[in-house]
Amino acid sequence: MSANPTLDPLAGQRPAPVPHNFSKPFWDAAREGRLLLQYDPASGKYQFYPRPISVFSGKRNLEWREASGKGTVYTYTVSHKAPPPFKIVQPFVIATVELVEGVRIMTDLINCPPDRVRIGMPVRLAWVKAGDMNFPVFEPDD
Amino acid sequence: MNDRGIAIIGYYETRIVLRSGRHVYDLAGEAMAGAIAHAGIDKSEIDGLAVSSCFSDAGNPFYAPVLAAYLGLELDWCQVTDLGGASASGNVARAAAAIRAGLCDTVLVLAADAQSSENKGTIAAFRSEFQYPMGIMGPPGYFGLLSRRYDHQYGLDLKALGKLAVTQRNHALLNDNACEKLKRPLTVEEYIASPMISDPIRMLDCVMVCDGASAFVVTTTARARELGAKKMVHPIGYGERINHGETDQCPDITRVGHTAAGARALKAAGLTPKQIQSFHPYDDFLIAIVLQLEAIGFCDIGRGCRFVMEHDLTFAGDLPLNTGGGQISAGQAGLAGGAHNLAEAVRQLFGEAGARQVKRRDNAMVTGIGWIPYGRNWGTSTVMVLEAAR
Repeated sequence: MSANPTLDPLAGQRPAPVPHNFSKPFWDAAREGRLLLQYDPASGKYQFYPRPISVFSGKRNLEWREASGKGTVYTYTVSHKAPPPFKIVQPFVIATVELVEGVRIMTDLINCPPDRVRIGMPVRLAWVKAGDMNFPVFEPDD
Repeated sequence: MNDRGIAIIGYYETRIVLRSGRHVYDLAGEAMAGAIAHAGIDKSEIDGLAVSSCFSDAGNPFYAPVLAAYLGLELDWCQVTDLGGASASGNVARAAAAIRAGLCDTVLVLAADAQSSENKGTIAAFRSEFQYPMGIMGPPGYFGLLSRRYDHQYGLDLKALGKLAVTQRNHALLNDNACEKLKRPLTVEEYIASPMISDPIRMLDCVMVCDGASAFVVTTTARARELGAKKMVHPIGYGERINHGETDQCPDITRVGHTAAGARALKAAGLTPKQIQSFHPYDDFLIAIVLQLEAIGFCDIGRGCRFVMEHDLTFAGDLPLNTGGGQISAGQAGLAGGAHNLAEAVRQLFGEAGARQVKRRDNAMVTGIGWIPYGRNWGTSTVMVLEAAR
């Protein structure tokens, strides 16, 4: 599941993510094409985006666990106006994806024309380049 | 708050102008001068300042005292409130709390921003980490995601949203402070045909960022009487919910914190939604009005569009709504935008709304919305109930 720049017309143009010290494991794993989520063993729940503390318990006993990369579209929007460099791909689909692990990731839906996307549609993880880093996106899971 | 011991005794709203070229301190100065003149008090009465944060002077870690210095204010208490569009009514509540705590006696509640002329604000956090790489178009993108989900769950009636747009536009046409660029009549058909920004969010769903300021003089009712105030408005209920449903990783994004904030405000005021005589909801996007009608209990969840179609929301109607035009038709003065809704509510209760004066002006409700979290609905929800002094 390593990044395939041929899939993304924006390859090399997306702004690089600006990580925090506490999200470094997420971005290190992203370089290997692995999606890590923070897991709170006390509550048995995952959380996203990465935080310095469990949002459930207020404790710092978080573990990093690899996600399946499978989910469904919770909601979406078709972007007709976007900041550069995204103008070259508009209209494009932005979705909030609900992962089977019980968290949501808001990201681009690639390889999906606007008339194809539906709420509830199964999607799977893909990676694009943002700066020199891997950034998680999703695509239809046929 | 419901003992009527706190009073707003004066207010002022500047014109809302696109790219005024004015500094935010200049706008603040006009608002302060106008508010103390309207209240009929001397500047020396003011010993507290509660100011909304702004984009124009963002990054100044000493904003409140620096601004106070420019305004010639020596104070016993000041604070910046960074709840975005919820800051203005939030600051009325904070002013009341500070006065009640004995920290000061008379507070200038001030909201000023010149975002369309100067924007020094950055919100890094999860935005620069997870949003900028995927190209979402700021708030319209978020409200596109929200509107799509709302449509999926309940159905989104474009005619109802269009009716809100037209109602507010007609109110703006009667408001001398409304942004000139927006002062032309609008039809439901024009709303529906307006260009898509982030489907289903259209251009005419959105606010236009402008410059502007408002100020309010808040003191005790007892001091107001000593000062000879002829008119006053009491805040009689307030509720605030920050980061609604924060620990829920898969929340229903059509539900908002105004349910909790509205219940608290109405309970304190001893009123039901049916008894509210005019409604001034924060309006960055039209659908926000629909969600707030539902959450506060004017109608059931999912029935907001139907409520809009079934009621006359004009200033002469059964539930006058955003009679100053709202931010969508009067212009959004940056992070001071929410003060427009508050200023209009206070103006109506003072009986000073001129051609758009509502008939029933015993009470009014004003709401606030502030900041947009990651992957969910707005973060801050506030509701304030105001009552005209009898």
